[in-house]
Amino acid sequence: MTLTVKPKTWPGAIREVTLGAGSRQGLTIGGGKGLPLHTFEAAFPRRPLLALEITDVDPPRWVDTVRAPWDGALGRPDVAAKRAVEEYGADVVMLHLVGTHPDRGDRSPAEAVEATRQVLDAVGVPLIVKGPGGGSRQNDVLVRVAEECRGEGLVLHSAAQEDYKSLAAVTVAYGHVLVAESPIDLNIAKQLNILLSDANVDMDRVLIDPMTGGLGYGLEYSYSVMQRIRLAALGGDRMLNAPVICLVGEEAWKAKEVKVDGTPAAVWGDRARRGVQWEIATALPLLEAGADLLVLRHPEALAEVRRVVDGWFVAGS
Amino acid sequence: MALTGLQIFKLLPNTNCKKCGCPTCLAFAMKLAAGKESLDKCPDASPEAQAALGAASAPPIRAVTIGHGERAITVGEETVFFRHEKTFVHRPGFFRVLDASTPASAIEDRLTDWSAIRIDRAGEVFRVDGIAVVESPGSPEFAPAAAQAAAAHGLPVAILAATTKGAAAAAEPIKDRRPLIVPPAGADPGPFVALAARLGAALVVSGADLDSLAAAAADAARAGVADILLEPPGDDLATLHKHLTLVRRGALERIHPGLAYPVFLRVGAGEFSKAVVGTSTFASIMAVADSGGETWMPLWTLRQNIYTDPQQPLRMDPGIYAIGEPTGASPLLVTTNFSLTYFTVSTELDGVGVACYLAVVDAEGLSVLTAWSAGKFSGDRVGKALRELKAAEHVSHRTIIIPGYVAVISGELEDALGDGWQVLTGPQEASDIGPFFRDVWETARPK
Ligand code: SF4
Repeated sequence: MTLTVKPKTWPGAIREVTLGAGSRQGLTIGGGKGLPLHTFEAAFPRRPLLALEITDVDPPRWVDTVRAPWDGALGRPDVAAKRAVEEYGADVVMLHLVGTHPDRGDRSPAEAVEATRQVLDAVGVPLIVKGPGGGSRQNDVLVRVAEECRGEGLVLHSAAQEDYKSLAAVTVAYGHVLVAESPIDLNIAKQLNILLSDANVDMDRVLIDPMTGGLGYGLEYSYSVMQRIRLAALGGDRMLNAPVICLVGEEAWKAKEVKVDGTPAAVWGDRARRGVQWEIATALPLLEAGADLLVLRHPEALAEVRRVVDGWFVAGS
Repeated sequence: MALTGLQIFKLLPNTNCKKCGCPTCLAFAMKLAAGKESLDKCPDASPEAQAALGAASAPPIRAVTIGHGERAITVGEETVFFRHEKTFVHRPGFFRVLDASTPASAIEDRLTDWSAIRIDRAGEVFRVDGIAVVESPGSPEFAPAAAQAAAAHGLPVAILAATTKGAAAAAEPIKDRRPLIVPPAGADPGPFVALAARLGAALVVSGADLDSLAAAAADAARAGVADILLEPPGDDLATLHKHLTLVRRGALERIHPGLAYPVFLRVGAGEFSKAVVGTSTFASIMAVADSGGETWMPLWTLRQNIYTDPQQPLRMDPGIYAIGEPTGASPLLVTTNFSLTYFTVSTELDGVGVACYLAVVDAEGLSVLTAWSAGKFSGDRVGKALRELKAAEHVSHRTIIIPGYVAVISGELEDALGDGWQVLTGPQEASDIGPFFRDVWETARPK
């Protein structure tokens, strides 16, 4: 007897969103017509993309084991961007403007623009620009960057339900892509997209960041909310079918378990390798749950996730 | 798959004798299908009807137990595909591979070390769940010795066999400890099936595709093997993931009795990603060749994440939570009621080992920075919440430690609290709490 497990078919599909424009070589994500990575039963015209995170200033919080591969490039966004793309093979670069945070350097919007320009000049890949986090500084910085770098199809990270209007406006006015961030909540993710849509943001220019919990620190919440978002999208919900971005590196490298030396060594193993594997073990489940764009920190984690993704989308039987 | 009312109706006598209390057989069948009646009420139901209904209500994935005693591990009995539907039932077992290259003199030491591992993390104890002993024809004494030594430590044993003879030699002496026999890839299953049936051992079956995998399991069951695990094919991760997915889906849809078993995976040296995919995607027993903590820590933690109750709320109840056994002189910290935030902070405080109070205030389930920018974690609001929680009754001092991200609320919070309260700005990241206690709190603490 031949055994048949019926393939799953869905009425909906994930939107395609193109990152990068102007002087960038555009790259498109999304388009999947089935459950994430279920390449054996559904069409996936685009493979997930992998980004590396770089910063405008030397990030004091990065633990030594993830600083090591960026030696000589930390706080030098042009050097770091080149290394990310040319040596480490990132598809996309995320410039995290940590230094614009009032408590971490208080750099001005003009300095943020300068850092962004350096990266745009150094590499031709799409660029994600992440602000310093909630509050008015976030808007000041990202709005200026969006204005000054118009037409580059930057991915602006991020707008939230409480505060999305100014970023929505510059996304529309200057041809960028906007990340809509929600706190691990399907309803808020949907609500925010409705608000953005009402603010005239084309849904083909929106990514969902459902908020990433790192391994051991809420990964399961992100995993499940992403699966639920994906099921809704495949079911035909057009306010939830945006591609998903996950900031993996930032969360994975926050974990206590990547920092401690750990005794006994037999139980904790090699600290540097543990950190890389912590990042991999955060990234792969999120890919399974529907991530279309992963932002990583360690090039060895990127190399392994790349190996997995490439194998998947070639084999794909 | 559950039977429909009409399918059940066809199995009933159709005499409408009403002995079941229903006016017609059809009405009774509909109630059975809805799970509102039990077949016992029909005295005339045929054995076929009983068998069919019994099979339809059996769990879609059988339970399999490996080992004996306190550390025996049971897997299987899963009922859903997505973890958000319902908590996954049994955490997968991670077995450490004990290679035949291990000198006989080192077996005992290694087992002693491995069986002693206990890591407490967020309410769970991480341990090595079992030992996978490699049988090698080149050193015939190794597997029996290692299997018996592992069993003596109370650990469940899997035998990664090379030959039937070697598997028998290793499994026979520990047959009352429910060992798991894993035949080599591509082996003729017949002799292994006979061995497992004779010893009452659990058996891994494999197949080149889903059909042959299910057929192999059905054959083994027919030959009298009760405890079966499926080793799905897939040399690359995509193919493996496909089969992991189809086995689970096929089992839940009850398309073939040969799929109604939990899944076994071997994870070779350096195959970390395979172990990750197995852990998140339905593997039930994994034999992991790498023994270093840099591999095991993330795997244990991922398993913990995937197998927790999906209903755990994202918001904590506001309150003053004790970490350790704090006294009136212990530090008092405040954070939001976003459970990820609470979990990160409380895990860190636990780890640091400083007893303290953690006040969780209602910030509508947002993280610190988001809550603050949305006005839900302002000085006024936090102050009001702390007063409502009667923070002052827990500590004898008047110092409150706030998250570093919201240093700006210090003044407003001091005003809101009044009564001599002082605000101390803590670190931005929970992972810096240890140094903060050591460097800042120790000097600033109220004397
Ligand atoms: S007792 Fe059995 S035969 Fe009689 S009506 Fe009920 S179902 Fe039909």
